Amino acid sequence: MKPRLAVIKLASCDGCQVTLLDLEDELLAIGEALDVAHFTEASSRFDPDGPFDLTLIEGSVSQPRQIPIVRHARAMSKRLVAIGACANTGGLQALRNWANHEEYLSLVYARPEYIETLAESKPVSELVPVDFELNGCPPDRHQLLEVITAFLVGRRPNIRSESVCLECKRAGHVCVHVAYGIPCLGPVTQAGCGALCPGKRRGCYSCFGPRENANTGSLADDLERKGLPPAEVARRFRLIYGWAPPFRAESARREKP
Amino acid sequence: MTAQALARDDLGALFDALRAEGYRVVGPTLRDDAIVLADLRGPEDLPAGWTVRQGPGTYRVERRDDEALFGFAVGQHSWKGFLFPSRERLVEMRREDGALEHRPAARDAAPLAFLGVRGCDLAAIEVQDRTFMRGRHVDPGYDARRRAAFVVAVDCLEAGDLCFCASMGTGPGVERGFDLRLTELGPRFLVAVGSARGASVAARLPLRAAPAGDERRRRDGLDDARAHMGRTMQADDLPGLLFGNLDHPRWDDVAARCLACANCTLVCPTCFCFSVETVSDLSGTEARRDRAWDSCFTVQHGQIHGATFRPRIKDRYRQWLTHKLGAWVSQFGVSGCTGCGRCIAWCPVGIDLTEEVAAIRATSRPAVAMPPPPAPAPAVREPMVPATARVTAVRRETDDVVTLRIAHEIAFRPGQFHMLGLPAIGEVPISIAGGDGRSVDHTIRAVGAVSGALAALEPGHALGIRGPFGSAWPLEACVGRPVVVVAGGVGLAPLRAALDTMAARPLDYPSVRLLYGARTPADLLFTDDLQRWAADPRFAVRVTVDHAGADWRGDVGVVTRLITDVPPDAVALVCGPEMMMGFSVRALCAAGLPAERAYVSMERNMACAVAHCGRCQLGPYFVCRDGPVFRFDRIARLFDQEGF
Repeated sequence: MKPRLAVIKLASCDGCQVTLLDLEDELLAIGEALDVAHFTEASSRFDPDGPFDLTLIEGSVSQPRQIPIVRHARAMSKRLVAIGACANTGGLQALRNWANHEEYLSLVYARPEYIETLAESKPVSELVPVDFELNGCPPDRHQLLEVITAFLVGRRPNIRSESVCLECKRAGHVCVHVAYGIPCLGPVTQAGCGALCPGKRRGCYSCFGPRENANTGSLADDLERKGLPPAEVARRFRLIYGWAPPFRAESARREKP
Repeated sequence: MTAQALARDDLGALFDALRAEGYRVVGPTLRDDAIVLADLRGPEDLPAGWTVRQGPGTYRVERRDDEALFGFAVGQHSWKGFLFPSRERLVEMRREDGALEHRPAARDAAPLAFLGVRGCDLAAIEVQDRTFMRGRHVDPGYDARRRAAFVVAVDCLEAGDLCFCASMGTGPGVERGFDLRLTELGPRFLVAVGSARGASVAARLPLRAAPAGDERRRRDGLDDARAHMGRTMQADDLPGLLFGNLDHPRWDDVAARCLACANCTLVCPTCFCFSVETVSDLSGTEARRDRAWDSCFTVQHGQIHGATFRPRIKDRYRQWLTHKLGAWVSQFGVSGCTGCGRCIAWCPVGIDLTEEVAAIRATSRPAVAMPPPPAPAPAVREPMVPATARVTAVRRETDDVVTLRIAHEIAFRPGQFHMLGLPAIGEVPISIAGGDGRSVDHTIRAVGAVSGALAALEPGHALGIRGPFGSAWPLEACVGRPVVVVAGGVGLAPLRAALDTMAARPLDYPSVRLLYGARTPADLLFTDDLQRWAADPRFAVRVTVDHAGADWRGDVGVVTRLITDVPPDAVALVCGPEMMMGFSVRALCAAGLPAERAYVSMERNMACAVAHCGRCQLGPYFVCRDGPVFRFDRIARLFDQEGF
């Protein structure tokens, strides 16, 4: 029997699920290798009960009703893989974690009493253990394919926690930070995107989040030496992956007067 | 011979001549506001009238006040990108209906002509030659590309802001190793021929006798460059100095600044570390092993299942600098630094290794002695392509440990290891636990994906096997002496063949004491062998476990408690977890054994097993080449060093 796959969504833009659909050349093979039991974005087949051999979960835990979904997904899945910035660190919507939740609700919604949200946007791993975290906003489709392939053949996914700089140098891109003075978060950001922005002469804004052992303090010092005011440095660390602990701590340090 | 010159206006003839001889010409060109190395159509693609201004962490191109074609210092790219591409396919594999095929990947070795190779960079190519071509194992792809490459060197008559080739003895002039050499002297190039291939290309050029005084102008220009180096570094004593100062406070200081981003290592023209990645289709039928530039600044570089050897940035920077300027000499007989200055310019936060070295030197403790490089050995080609072999028998040793018997006709020495692999899953080093010339035994604990898949193999299944690799237990040095064997857990497996050899040669090994520790009685390996050895009157076998039920009648406690009454002339062979080996050797030494008669078997991240990928380094050694068995005193200094 084919392994059963579920793709589940929480609070998210669906971009991670679309990344899976972007695997156009491999989609048929994936459909043949796996029994797609549940896929919110792509299929009308609706089988949330499980059990599943592999579950990809997208989005952050942002509403009380999502808590039982996450617990159910964990209980029903042999392997639970959290994909994307939201599922792994709370995502862009975690920007509200710094604000007053009640005030936001009354500012944004005409009838806030209809809205049920948590005060903080949380990563899945804060509620249940996950077997693997695939980062990126959205994740790279080749890396997503690698996670699925590795699961099917039984190897460890070849996803490295190194900096974007390695991909940038392997590609031969000229370093935007050194050669043009463009602030770049590549040195503290996890590789996987293929160094897309530096390849287009733009600084990395860390849509893959902090790499292992990110020395954010030294890079932030350097950005300040290059003329960025501390508040601007803080802002750069408080974006898509702002709630990830190393970035959260760095933005807090730079924010202080 | 009279000096010859090529008019600047005739430089196009050099491109024509190189193409006529079959070369694709690559060299410096201005692109994206930087001078990069790329394909050149002709002299019009050279960066005429451009120079660069560099500092720590900064690089800018600027106009010159003349139209010099080579008036700039080296940039981010180096020739390494052509000889050792950042990604390369190594092995292709196919598994279908139980059959397994391994074949070397196809290689593109179209001859390249490198136009504009500076002294530092030619030296760097020769440094990488030592890694990939001059050791026991030859990298076939690098070897083919390097032999085919044509080198047009260029002298540096101006020094760059970050250059220190004069300190490293690699420039600014290029005196050897080129096919042709150009010296840019305004309206003409002084041309020197360095090889028969160079002469053949030169014969196609409209060369004229150089004006009197051009040779002197070259020498004066080189002297001027030498006198104006942007950096200096005293390097001759660095191996011993750096390894004598592994606890220097400067390592913490630099670690606070270092991003561990790996830029220094990837722009370095000599850094050679790579990762080996297993790639496959969804079914695992077609698979391959690729390599990609890796760096000692990544966590994966020094990581195996269950152990991270260099967790802190401090460990990684120290690994890099002590290797680059120190261990390299022991590994390859030459420094790994050529003084090109790239690592200073392309460090995002501007860390300058010449400053770091000066700071360590200023308050250093004495230097230590370093081991010499190994003697040359006959070359083995295609070292990365496994042979296909089949499992003939499987014996379950414990809940998570099996011994595979694999049909494989090979001679090995006890203590050596094989790389065992499965196409879509990966490859791991596994010590050889026994063999008879027709088959080998491998004892495997299922801990990760690869070891788990290997441990699940059944008789008849095929797998990939490479080797044997590495050093062996010193069985000849043990002849006539009492031998103390200390093993912990699966550490008994690499010792099993040595114990069997000693059991089979009673006259040579009159007294063997085996002290074996495991977690519980259920974790004991080779219980039949233990009984067989215990029955031999020359053998004394003591087994201890950490935890046991009431029915266990043997010892309980750590294995080091069994180390007593060590004969003063004994040799000790120790294998187990690193911590256990450290305590065991300390106990042996406390009991009177000199450290030079204790041997341990080390484990690091062995990915290529042929001293190319750089990931299993242990100070001046490669564990795959110089180990895994080491005489303890040779690594004692590193053994207790956190983060090595």
